[in-house]
Formats: sequence, structure tokens, C-alpha cells
Amino acid sequence: METLSEQNSIPSTKVQRAMRFVKTGAQIGGNYIKHYSKKIVDPSLSKDELHENNANDVYNALSELKGSALKVAQMLSMEKNILPKQYTNKFQMAQYSAPPLSGPLIVQTFVKTFGKTPQDLFDSFDMKAANAASIGQVHQASLNGQLLAVKIQYPGVAESIKSDLKIVKPIAFRLLDMNENELEKYIQEVETKLLEETDYELELNRSIEITQACKNIPNLVFTNYHKAFSSKRVLTMDWLSGFHLDKFLSTNPSQAIKNQIGQAMWDFYNTQVHELKAVHADPHPGNFIMQTDGQLGVIDFGCVKEIPEDFYLNYFALLIPEIVQDNSIIRKIMLQQEIITDNDSAEVQQVITDAFVKMTTLLRKPFDDAEFDFGNDAYINQIYAMAEEVSKIEELKKSKVGRGSQHALYINRTYFGLYSLLNLLNAQIHTGTQSWKSRLKDYHFISNN
Amino acid sequence: MKTQLIQSYIQYTLEHNSQPQSVYLFAKHLGMTELDFYNYFSSLASLESEIYQVWFEECMQKCTQSEPWNTYSSREKVLAIFYTFIEDLKPNRSFVQYLKTRDWKPSLQWPAYLKGLHQVFLAHIQPILTTGIASNEIQERKFIDSKYAEGLWLNFLFVLKFWTDDTSPSFEKTDAAIEKSVNLAMDLLGKSPLDAALDFGKFLFQNK
Repeated sequence: METLSEQNSIPSTKVQRAMRFVKTGAQIGGNYIKHYSKKIVDPSLSKDELHENNANDVYNALSELKGSALKVAQMLSMEKNILPKQYTNKFQMAQYSAPPLSGPLIVQTFVKTFGKTPQDLFDSFDMKAANAASIGQVHQASLNGQLLAVKIQYPGVAESIKSDLKIVKPIAFRLLDMNENELEKYIQEVETKLLEETDYELELNRSIEITQACKNIPNLVFTNYHKAFSSKRVLTMDWLSGFHLDKFLSTNPSQAIKNQIGQAMWDFYNTQVHELKAVHADPHPGNFIMQTDGQLGVIDFGCVKEIPEDFYLNYFALLIPEIVQDNSIIRKIMLQQEIITDNDSAEVQQVITDAFVKMTTLLRKPFDDAEFDFGNDAYINQIYAMAEEVSKIEELKKSKVGRGSQHALYINRTYFGLYSLLNLLNAQIHTGTQSWKSRLKDYHFISNN
Repeated sequence: MKTQLIQSYIQYTLEHNSQPQSVYLFAKHLGMTELDFYNYFSSLASLESEIYQVWFEECMQKCTQSEPWNTYSSREKVLAIFYTFIEDLKPNRSFVQYLKTRDWKPSLQWPAYLKGLHQVFLAHIQPILTTGIASNEIQERKFIDSKYAEGLWLNFLFVLKFWTDDTSPSFEKTDAAIEKSVNLAMDLLGKSPLDAALDFGKFLFQNK
């Protein structure tokens, strides 16, 4: 409940939020003035200090802002490495949070959708929220001896997402120094996903689908969904007992248990990506429930990214050493992934490709062997350092076009989240026999000849 | 019988896209005499002003009988009344909109047909506020606190108007409008920085 009451101070009206952005816009403008006036005195001054100042102001404004605007800015900045890594790290954990719903509003929502109050519908219903969900809150209820979790959404969230995005767009263009058309595809992607998250009927169907496809993975537990008590704005499921990551770790689980949970998480993502081609794209600690006997519960399928086939064939091919070493195939992949374009000069193409290959070589490490220790902090730090290095490449910085397919946005985020969760868990993982690799090899080497 | 007359009046108005022009015509339409009509209402205008009053009484009855009512704070009671009233207004939305387009002018305080509602609204809200003051949920302020209920009445008019203009699916925006406006109003009625500011201002004034 602490987190809920804290939200009293979030600027919540559109006007207030717009004001925040205006302020930030003015500050960034000020930073530019500062930068150019300094530059008159000291021509050798690089833009780094300017970027640092901008990043600080943006971060300060956004961290106060929350809401979907934060999520958009967060996703975009991660992609373009516009914010220093320490910041993106913090953003990663930031959640959309709506103000808490009052008791009468909960009753009203139920009356509207089911024609009955929650008290009439269930044997018991706790009017106090047990948890804040991403765009609503979770209440505990019971029916016929079964404990239930009832997720209720704030009214008008979809509308407020749309207006938030209208506010965030102009500032994003300025921040990323990209033109409107280039940025549009990313904004579109985020908007679609955010709006999908507000549709609990869609979430219900996806939950059932993914649960069904992943039910044979050992140590993974799902909850039961109740269609009769669900609608666009209410989602009811069985209550899963257990802990979120930080609480779970404070119970001092053994290494074997941590490995077991980490393994379940890894297998879960592997199955989704390579078999379902649709993935729970929000690996946030709040979406997993860990039980002390080493079972992993997955909740909240609000954000599911469907992976288009041609994107899949190229993106995951980057994890296969033989493919990355083949110059003609890698070029094809880079073009398909829109990381380089035909408009780039040959040198620019080369610089970007080299940087990219270097990055993927590091990122695919867990896939190289049959086992990997994610608890190794040195590896995670190496990734940060590499991202920092890539963000400094002049050719990328100067580029006014968006690099990378819009589909990569959520897939990158998923793996980023998965790696950090496994790192926090300190888990050693059997990354396993990867049969998908030979499928992808067949595709690229045979289609190439 | 009163509620039946009200129902017929609404039906007549909607079907003719105009209210009955005289008691005579309306009574004739119902197959009763003008004299019978006066047993219940003194005029068509008085009938009209009682419509909302009756609806509000029904709403209050429903609220106070609902299970969580006794556990609610003053803030939640006010919210519950607003939500329930608007929800139950839905079946008569066309009529509400008809009255609004006919009478709701920006210059007027509020239309005559809401006068009856105004009285019952104050009568029901006042005790809720008094309990709130007793439990310290609402701040007691000399001279001003007697006007709290009137403030909520303005809030209520705002919500009513907002709902008649709302085009969002299942009037979701009205729900948000109620939640936000009532929370703001109740925040203002509670202890706020304003009290400290007033107190400080008074101190400065007295010690100049």
C-alpha cells in the first residue's frame, strides 16, 4: 500500500503532465544555449557534456512523470542509448502507475460490467488493493474456498495513453534528433503494445494460449483464469502464493533452488520465442512469483510481442557464429533488420556492421555453450560497457535515420530484462540443446546458395 | 401513482419531442381528468422538478442498503452516491439530454427542474459531511464549513453535465471525472496547506 499512497504526488492531469514537458523542453533548450555559448569560448568542447546535461534533465522530469509517457521515453532511449546506462537501468524497473481506485469506483466498475457488486459476485472481496498492477490494481477475493486475484483497470487509461503519446512525440523528435517519419514506426509499435495492455480480454486469451503451450515446462506454474468474471477492464484468476524476487531472495533460497527457478524462466522464454513465436515481453520482477520450493509462477500477459517470421529468421541468426562470420549473409541480415540501409556509404555500413557483430558476439555468449552462469557480474558489466561504447560511435550518433527494426524494440527489452533477472537470481542455466540453431542455419545457408 | 405519472410524462416528452403543453392535454392523453392530476402535482413544472428528486431518493436508498456503505469514509460515501446516481440515470439518458438542451443556459445558475433535487441533495450530503468533520476527515472551518455541501452540489452539477456530453464507450470518462473531481473536492475539504497559509496570514496581519 505504500507505493499506492505515494502516488498522490504524481502530476496526473494532462495539463500538469504537459507542463512538465514544457519545463523539460525549456531546460534542454537552455542546455543548448549553454553549450553553444561555451563553445564560442572553447571550440574543442565536445557534445558529450551537453548530452549528459540533457539526459539528466530528461531523467529528472520523467522520473517525476511516470505514466505511459515514461514508458515510451524509456523504450526509445534504451534503443538509441540516449541516456547514460545507469539511467536506463533505473528506467527498466519503472512501471506505468495509475492513481489508486476508490472503493466506490471498484463497485461501479463491477456493476457496469457484471451487473452486480463484487460483494454479490464473490464470497468475500477485499476492498483494499493487495498490489498495484501496471495500469490498475489487484484485489483478493474468494469464491467457494478458492482464493482469487482480481485485477481492475482504471477507467480511461487507453485515452490517457493516447494523449500522453501526443505530448511525448515532439520532445522525442528533438531528443533523438530524428525526423518524424523515422521515429513514427517506433512510436507506433510502443503505442500498439501499450494499448493492447489495456485490453484485458486480449490478455485473457493470450494467457490461456501461452499457458497451454508452456504447461509441460518443469517447475513452471500458471494460474487459472476465470472468463466469467473477466471483461475488458476486469481480469480474474486464481491467487498464486509466493514471493516477488526481492522478498524471495531475502528468504535465503539455496543455489539449487535458484538455479531451478532460473532454469524454468529460461525454458519459458526459449519455448515462447522459438516455438510459439510470441513472447511475454515484460520480464519485470513484478510479473513473476517465486515459491520457496523452486516453482516459478508467471502472471500478467498484458504485453505480448508476436514475432514475425522474417524478423525471427534474421534476428536470431545473429546468435549463430557461423552465420555472423559469413560476410554476405551478415550483410543481408543487417539490411533486413534495417540496421544499415542502401543509402549509407560503404564505410558507414562497415563501421556499423562491425560494431554490431562485436555486440552480438558478446550478447550471444549464453547461447555459445550448453551452460552459462548469469550470476557473473563481470559479464553484465561488460554488456553495459559495450553499450556505452556503441553509443559513442560517431556514425551512429550522426545518423538521422532510425536504426533497427521496430520489432527489435520489445525483443531487445525482453532479453535485457531476462538477463538482468537471471543475474539478480544469480542462476546457472543449462542453455541447452538449441535445435532452432540448425533450423536457422539451414534457412540461411541453403537459401543463400 | 406519482412515479407512474412521472414515467408517463417522460414517455410523452420523448415520443413527442416536446413536453405536454398543458395539464389538460397531458391528463387527457392519460385518460384521466385534470382534477385527478392535481391530487399529485400542482403543475407540470412541479412534476418536472420532482423527477430528479425521486431518482435521488432511490439512489440514496440503494447506496445506504449496499453492503460496504457502513465501512465507507465520507469521501467514499460521496463517491458512491455520484457513481450510483449517474449509473441509474442511464435508462433515462435521452430525457436528461432533452431537459439539458432545453433549459441549461450558461448564464443561469442551474435550471429550474433541478431545484427539487438541490434540496434533497443538501439534506442527504450534510449529515455525511458532519460525520466527516467529527472523524477529522474533513476540516472544520468557521463560516465556510456550512457551505461545503453547496460546493459538492456544484461538483455534482459538473458531473451531471459532463455525463450528458460524454461520448466515450460505456461512459468511462465520466467515471474518471467523478473519481478525480470528488477526490479533489474532498482533498480541499480535508486539512490542506491552505489552512496553514491562512493561519500564517492571520498571524502576519495581527502582528504587523
